[in-house]
This record gives sequence, C-alpha cells and structure tokens, in this order.
Amino acid sequence: MSTRAITIVGFVVIIAALAGLEILGRRKINRIPTLGEWLGYAMRPRAGRALILLGWLWLGWHYFAR
Amino acid sequence: MAAENASADPRASASPAGYEERADTASRAGAWAERHPGRPRLRPASPRPPGKALIGAGLIGYAWVAGGTAPFSTKALLSVLLPGAVLGLIAYGRPPARIPPPESIDLGGMSYWLVCIALLFEWEASAFRDNSPPWHPSLTALINPLLAPHPVKSAAFAVWMLAGWALVRR
Repeated sequence: MSTRAITIVGFVVIIAALAGLEILGRRKINRIPTLGEWLGYAMRPRAGRALILLGWLWLGWHYFAR
Repeated sequence: MAAENASADPRASASPAGYEERADTASRAGAWAERHPGRPRLRPASPRPPGKALIGAGLIGYAWVAGGTAPFSTKALLSVLLPGAVLGLIAYGRPPARIPPPESIDLGGMSYWLVCIALLFEWEASAFRDNSPPWHPSLTALINPLLAPHPVKSAAFAVWMLAGWALVRR
C-alpha cells in the first residue's frame, strides 16, 4: 500500500468516525452529544459564537475562494 | 362575535379562487390520511409561503454564480465574503429564533469528538508540514479536484451557505 493510499485511508477513517459519532449522538442512548448540540453549547458565549462563525467563513474562503 | 372572527381572518372573505385553494389543501390532507392511516402529517398541508421558495431559488442561483468564479479572483473572494457579511449582520443585528443550546455537555461523551477532531487536525497538519506532496496529500489537496466541476462546486457552496444559516440559528 502506497503512502498516498495510507493517507487517504486515514482521512476516510477519521471522517467516518466523525459521522459515526453523529449517528450515535442522535440515538440518545449514550452520553455522546450531536454536532449541533456541542456547537450550540460552544456558541453560548459571544466569543464562542464569533469564533465558530469565523471558522465557517474561513472554510468557505479556503475551499471556494482559493 | 362570529362576524368579527370572520372579518379578522383574511381567508374568510376569500375569493372563489381562495376557496378552491382551501378545498385543494383539504383534499391533499385527506389523501395523506388515506395513504398513511394513524400517522400524523408532520408538514402542514397548507402550501409553503412563496417567500421561502424565492429565497431558495435565490440561494441556488447565487451558489451557481459563485461556483463558476475562478479561484484566487476578486469575484471568488467577494462571493464568499458577501454571505459571510449577510449572516454576520443577521447574527448580531437581527438574530432569528435560536434552537436552545443544552445547559451542559457530558465531558466523557464530548471527549470522543475531541479525540477524532484532534486526529483530523494532526493528520492534516502532518501533510501540510510536508507541503502536501502527492505521496502525502492534505485534505484540501484531495478535496479540491472533487470540487472542480461547476455543479459540484455550486452544490458545495449551497451546503456551505446552509451550514452558515444553521450556525446562526444555534
């Protein structure tokens, strides 16, 4: 297996794990929060809200303006 | 009293066309009940307000135009900054009804997220540190070719704008 393939598999595994956490969080049979819940919690203070929105803006600039 | 209610309700004095619309709505609700007995209809049977359809069409049109801009151009930069400015103004000027956040988050449950996010950043940083060569590409280097076709980029742009709106509502 080439190093490129290993890198891609690594990304796929991590993203699949994140998707799995979201699914587990939505089932409400454990303590894992959903993405929306912990983002909402992080956005309770004004600074957290500004940081998350700036992160969203950075993501748009990074993928669509560059 | 009934006359007052009738005058307060604009639909009560509707034209025959309005009556037809109500009859159509009622027949659709009846069809739902026939097809799914015992299941409540989640979406109201009334037609969607035209404002939402217009906003949706506007967003799709904007995403299509933004998806067609050349990378590193001023137009591409402005196409990203404009939704950012609009959502920033809405978030701080006229915030919409927010989805109430939880009072607390379980640290044990949150730790799974933190580990995965840390892994993603570490994996990305290791590729970024190496200047993202073909044998060790960064996530951006892998995603950019996928976003190259105009329809895909426009769809991703629309998803990004919807994600921004979802964040503003949080």
